[in-house]
Amino acid sequence: MLIQYVKKLIAVAAIVVLQLALSATTLAQPSDPELDRTIPTPHLDDGKVDLGGNGVWSLPWIRNFAVRVVRGDENSSVPFLPWTKAMHEYNASNNVAYDPEGFCLPPGGPRSMGTPYPIEIIQHRDRIIIIFEGGGHVWREIHMDDRQHPDKETLNPSYFGHSVGHWEGDTLVVDTVGFNEKTWLDFGGHMHSDQLHTIEYITRPDKNTLHYEATIDDPGAYTEPWTVAWDINWSEGQELADYICQENNKYMIDLTDDFGNPFFETTTIAR
Amino acid sequence: MKAKIILFLIALFAAFSPAAVFAHHAFAAEFNSNSPIEVEGTVIKIEWTNPHTYFYIEVETEDGYFEEWAMEMGSPNGLVRRGWSRNSLKIGDVVTVTGSRARDGRAKASAETVVLDSGQRLFAGTSRPDFEEDDN
Repeated sequence: MLIQYVKKLIAVAAIVVLQLALSATTLAQPSDPELDRTIPTPHLDDGKVDLGGNGVWSLPWIRNFAVRVVRGDENSSVPFLPWTKAMHEYNASNNVAYDPEGFCLPPGGPRSMGTPYPIEIIQHRDRIIIIFEGGGHVWREIHMDDRQHPDKETLNPSYFGHSVGHWEGDTLVVDTVGFNEKTWLDFGGHMHSDQLHTIEYITRPDKNTLHYEATIDDPGAYTEPWTVAWDINWSEGQELADYICQENNKYMIDLTDDFGNPFFETTTIAR
Repeated sequence: MKAKIILFLIALFAAFSPAAVFAHHAFAAEFNSNSPIEVEGTVIKIEWTNPHTYFYIEVETEDGYFEEWAMEMGSPNGLVRRGWSRNSLKIGDVVTVTGSRARDGRAKASAETVVLDSGQRLFAGTSRPDFEEDDN
């Protein structure tokens, strides 16, 4: 009896020590000290910055855009309209239970560059394609052939919208409109309207770093444009894996609304 | 006395758990990190699926009955990147699992550590993110 107890005590103590070690490494984030930030930016034969290579970009998990705001007064943070402020508070109050990405819907917009699991960026002459392992195994296409966005009447609202890009020196600038309202800007519950227009600035200051910046211009949700930014680390030699989020999402089966009723009709779930 | 020490250790464990768990969905909406569990049982079923893998264990209760616990872990792509495979855990294995219990109080948890009877640790921190997190 006593021996059993002592064994148990040792096991629990070992777990505590391990947890301490784990939390120490978790807190030591975000930048990976192992990565060499002095290796020069690779370029393609035509002189453009090479956004690929033998590896993938390991996206960080950006949960709250409010702590990623750049080029602004520190206190101003997110320029909410009353409805987005109220919805943000509501989403926080229920632990972001109704996050569409939790239903295996695509992240859409800048959130797709800060959602778990890596990406690959493929550069063609006339378009750039980003493949996302996470967010339900989706991709987006950026037109690089000087075309314009379709007019408002023909623009089909979609998760990733319509993107056109061009190079300004070594910066890839991407302009996107035509988003639907089925996504959130971030995990933390910042919302947007279908008037959302984003301008993304993507640079690769060295081989192992992708710097991502996005201006969120949405007069239907915020009083003025605001900009968020973060860095993304290169993972040499890594590959994209399979991640079919819809496979066995038990979370949707158990989810209830504010009144305790099932959030989804069970018939809409394949199982 | 014994109970007090174990409760203290469990509280310490909870206090220093790595902050968040991925969580393609909202972890906090489904699990309560202030409700830590430690259970031992025999693996009876494994679901190596997205967006989360699950295994189910049969746990003997104090009064001699058996209770089935569902344990949630990361997705296969994340676990494989950390060097584990779908055969790392097998039906019939006896494991001790620590984690956070489901908010609704059911016998379901997000697994944080899985230790085999032999003492071998599996999945090396099942809920540990394999990517950086922001500071919120």
